[in-house]
Amino acid sequence: MPAGREVLKLENICKSFPAIKALDQVNFAVRAGEVMGLVGENGAGKSTLIKVVTGAYARDSGRILFEGEEVVKNSPIISKELGIYAVYQEVMVAPDLSVAENFFLGNQPKIGPVIDWKKMYREAERFLEEIGIEIDVKRNIRELSVAEGRMVTIAKSLWQKPKLVIFDEPTAVLTRNETRILFRIIRDLKKRGAAIIYISHNLEEVFDVCDVVTVLKDGAVVGSYPVEELETVDRLIPLMVGRTIEEMYHKREIKVGQEILRVEGLSGNKFQDIDICVRAGEVVGLFGLVGAGRTEIARAIYGADNFDQGKIVINGRETPIRRPKDSLIHGVGYLPEDRKNQGIFPQQNVEFNINIINLDKVMKAGIINYNQAYQQAQDYVDKLSIKIGSLYQQVSELSGGNQQKVIIARWLCKNSDIFIFDEPTTGIDVGTKAEIYRLFGEILEQGKGIILISSYLPEMIGLADRIIVISNGKLAGEVEKKDFSEEHLLTLAMKNVISKEKFKEVV
Amino acid sequence: MIRRNERRTFAERNLLIILVVMWIFLSIATRGNFSSWSNIANLLRQTSINGVVAIGMTLIIITGGIDLSVGSVVGLSGMIYALLTSTRGEIQIASSLAIILSLGAAALVGLVSGVAVHDGKVPPFIATLGMMTLIRGLVMYISTGRMITGLPLSFRQLAVAGFLGLPVLAWIWIIMVAFMGFVLKYTMFGRNLYAIGSNKEAARLSGINIRLNMYGFYTVGALFSGMAGLMLATRMAAGVPTGGQGYELDAIASVVIGGASLSGGVGTVFGTALGALIIQTMRNGGNLLGIDPFIMEIMIGAIIILAVFFDQYFKGRKEG
Repeated sequence: MPAGREVLKLENICKSFPAIKALDQVNFAVRAGEVMGLVGENGAGKSTLIKVVTGAYARDSGRILFEGEEVVKNSPIISKELGIYAVYQEVMVAPDLSVAENFFLGNQPKIGPVIDWKKMYREAERFLEEIGIEIDVKRNIRELSVAEGRMVTIAKSLWQKPKLVIFDEPTAVLTRNETRILFRIIRDLKKRGAAIIYISHNLEEVFDVCDVVTVLKDGAVVGSYPVEELETVDRLIPLMVGRTIEEMYHKREIKVGQEILRVEGLSGNKFQDIDICVRAGEVVGLFGLVGAGRTEIARAIYGADNFDQGKIVINGRETPIRRPKDSLIHGVGYLPEDRKNQGIFPQQNVEFNINIINLDKVMKAGIINYNQAYQQAQDYVDKLSIKIGSLYQQVSELSGGNQQKVIIARWLCKNSDIFIFDEPTTGIDVGTKAEIYRLFGEILEQGKGIILISSYLPEMIGLADRIIVISNGKLAGEVEKKDFSEEHLLTLAMKNVISKEKFKEVV
Repeated sequence: MIRRNERRTFAERNLLIILVVMWIFLSIATRGNFSSWSNIANLLRQTSINGVVAIGMTLIIITGGIDLSVGSVVGLSGMIYALLTSTRGEIQIASSLAIILSLGAAALVGLVSGVAVHDGKVPPFIATLGMMTLIRGLVMYISTGRMITGLPLSFRQLAVAGFLGLPVLAWIWIIMVAFMGFVLKYTMFGRNLYAIGSNKEAARLSGINIRLNMYGFYTVGALFSGMAGLMLATRMAAGVPTGGQGYELDAIASVVIGGASLSGGVGTVFGTALGALIIQTMRNGGNLLGIDPFIMEIMIGAIIILAVFFDQYFKGRKEG
């Protein structure tokens, strides 16, 4: 590996918040032309560390050396001037300006006092073409999809010629193809001698792209390991939590009971003629490529969107589902993919978020009994071991994993018969993932059924009993457990989409 | 164990302290004139009308919206009552029936705003700005721009009546604060309000009927303006065509000082009541101290900004 000079070096960095020591004597260095993966459970201190590097947080003690010089005083502006560029989980560009303007922001080409639009568009276009992104540079960021917006943010990292680029969960909203472009950009950055810090929960990805992996645990560095030394993901996970991947996916045998949900000939805007059957004690996977219509199908079953045709049979009875309220009453629960925008009530406290659909149990004559309400919430916080300061804590202050647990608590408390989980573990650390899988087991043991949507194949294969593959809005096949394999599932998923040659390219 | 010591929000705790400090300071500075029972009664009466309007405004602001039409609705309900009961007019109906009709008209205005906002997807600022102008025009039209006097004696006496040493108007406000405070905390109506205000899509997916609730919030919100309109009419002993003009500003200020967030999901009726009291305490105290009322307005303006500033500042410190 081309190990150049040290671009960033951290020495004994400490940072405490009230009651928590977030960073404890952190030491590491990133070299020019090197991609360093930063992994660890949620709450391990990754985000805090990045914020200390970019100057968003002030460190309590320790030294930051940038290109050998100590950065005594740091702030987001100072770090930017030094050449540190961070790509955060959110799209960090001006949404009402065009793609080209976003690249040139602050140093637009001018003819006299007037902006030279032609030159700006031309140069931006050439640049995007070079790195293989097809986006109209005249369009406003707001008109782009989330993934496209993210691509622009990422492309900007290359444009600005920074010395250190930090990617924080860059692929969360990207498709395979876009991820490939991202990796190409990272390789380009490497070639130009930039140092890169890459944070991701997707450990396979970290292995693909990183040279060195630094593991953080409880705010301290466990160690930095060259990727060749680690060999496989399995070696990395125990360093993070002390658990192997097999243990995480361990599934108890549960007797499958009678059918509790049947969907027949469901057709809607983005899907046609879908049949699904879920029996008690069973996880039915709904697999497909991004955009295949999985989420749309789930939303239709739940009543979040309308469907044109088909019927939904719950516990043997045909049930009209027109709005979420109907499915709530009939025991169908939906945990949306987009927690932040569709799941949580960010400014409200934990009690509110758990009880939102469960107030009927703690109400008498239309009045909420808060003693019971808080007790009910506390019971589920204990049961799911959700890490909170108190029930009065705003749910937005919790980590992503704990937010997800709050939403699961909500539905467990509702005692639904069927749980539809849409990407339940995106952006969630390994430890919490394992706990969520354990909860799956508990749900199933109570004779309930689960529909699981997940783009993460190992998770799908590890958890599902049967997988229904959707391709381009149509049923592509139903696969029994004995026939599970990534290749088989992907082949089915692409059945209606692309030709054989293209398939090979994607896989 | 369940911790129960965080029931009051940050804003409420601090506002209460600020208010007490202000009162102690004014009592000393005015050598007890401020804290005389008659002045306290007066202060509460002065606060009551804005206080009631601000309760309705709190609901709308928690939804993430804003209601600019409250002042016009205050004018409307007072005017309708005056026109229906004035001894100098052509129609005279029972006072109680007139009250119901005035409040009904106010509620209807709220419902129309609610439909415009929810079904018409008109931003609340625009929808209620339109309603503000529309309703003010309507009040002017039905009154031909004249003040309508000759209200029933029993109604006029409400303004000066007292109960247990406090003006009836103050009691109306206090009871409404207690009542709506209870409703927002202990009923589905209140829980739905906070749910919809903090995340509309999550609320919908939680089975909450957004349409009905939004109609409800705007209707109930306007109902409070209607109530305030009647309170104003009894104080003026007349239906005044310009009655309530500019009330939206004091109401919004009260809600914002009271700790509500204009982005929705946050706010309490009790906080708003404290906000309303702080504004009125400054006017009342400034008056007693002989400070130029214009100077007082400058200070109230500064307080509005400072209140939000400190709220943000401490929130930032807590997180950071």
